[in-house]
Amino acid sequence: MKCEEVKPYLMSHLDGEIEPEKRSEIEKHLEECEDCTKEYQAFVKLKQETDKMKLADLSDELWNGYWKGVYRRIERGVGWIFLSIGAIILLSFGAYQFFKELLADPNISLIVKIGVSIGALGAIILLVSIVRERLFLCKTERYGEVER
Amino acid sequence: MKNVYLTPGQSVLNKPETYVYIDKEEKTDEDRELILQLKRGKMKAFRKLVEKYKKPAFFIALGLVGNREDAYDISQEAFTRVYTSLGRFNPQHKFFSWFYAILSNLCKNHLRSREIRGRYIRSVDDDAEMSSQTNPAPGPDVLMERNERSLRLWEEISELPLEFKEIIILKHFQGYSYKEISQMLNIPLGSVMSRLYYARKKLKDNLKDILT
Ligand SMILES: [Zn+2]
Repeated sequence: MKCEEVKPYLMSHLDGEIEPEKRSEIEKHLEECEDCTKEYQAFVKLKQETDKMKLADLSDELWNGYWKGVYRRIERGVGWIFLSIGAIILLSFGAYQFFKELLADPNISLIVKIGVSIGALGAIILLVSIVRERLFLCKTERYGEVER
Repeated sequence: MKNVYLTPGQSVLNKPETYVYIDKEEKTDEDRELILQLKRGKMKAFRKLVEKYKKPAFFIALGLVGNREDAYDISQEAFTRVYTSLGRFNPQHKFFSWFYAILSNLCKNHLRSREIRGRYIRSVDDDAEMSSQTNPAPGPDVLMERNERSLRLWEEISELPLEFKEIIILKHFQGYSYKEISQMLNIPLGSVMSRLYYARKKLKDNLKDILT
């Protein structure tokens, strides 16, 4: 076996995930090859070092509150969707009524009608854009609200 | 009667002390059953799923983003994604592999936006302190024992390219088997081995001074 072929198997040997036949093949290579043996020993040391390192656990309080946090997020997400749908329905109905009256009123000049219409169009675009962001994008950015 | 399996890839001849007997079928069946119940709207089943996987979820996120508050938050968000995109889960697959894809994506997005924010702040204000605030050095509170060697090791792991960091975390801190890692990362077993090799090689080269 060439050294390059041996390298990945140094990993499975180290981690005890190697087939018995492969194991003896690799061990035979290690007996003959100084470079691979050196490298293998360095990997063993690295593994010992990483095994010693432990990540700190969270407090019981945080673990106990974990489910509640997940639940609240779901609840809020659902709340937001309903709120947005409701708001959109009411706003569009209101806007429809308003424009029907505005455009039908002969006392208001054409220029005002155009101005208000364009302004309203802008508001609708902004609203849709914000709602879309809340529903699809914003979730990834909501990392600010961890309680400790 | 129970079927008893060795963990995948563990051969009978090596390391008898690490034999782990687990009932694989039962384990995956349990998740599948919980998901089915959840699809029928049973929040209790969802709670069970969350309680079962909250720890690996948190620690994987911690390994990837290196900050406890963010890891707590992101892992919770990943569970809510499970709930909202349940329809996209293929019951043929393992729950945790699917969950891992969601979780690691959130972590990657988070790292990306942190990097962009950092770059922006650096361009506005050339203050080194500011940039280290947006891309905080791995907090020492992440580690249980804060000796110099562990801190150094943790720092080097944090600075690995994401692909390498990911596999080191799954192998060393979560202790997943190669087979489980290959399912989670959706790559063949051979790639697990070679990626692990390059990740560890980089780590060992960077840590030459403390490993001798
Ligand atoms: Zn060799």
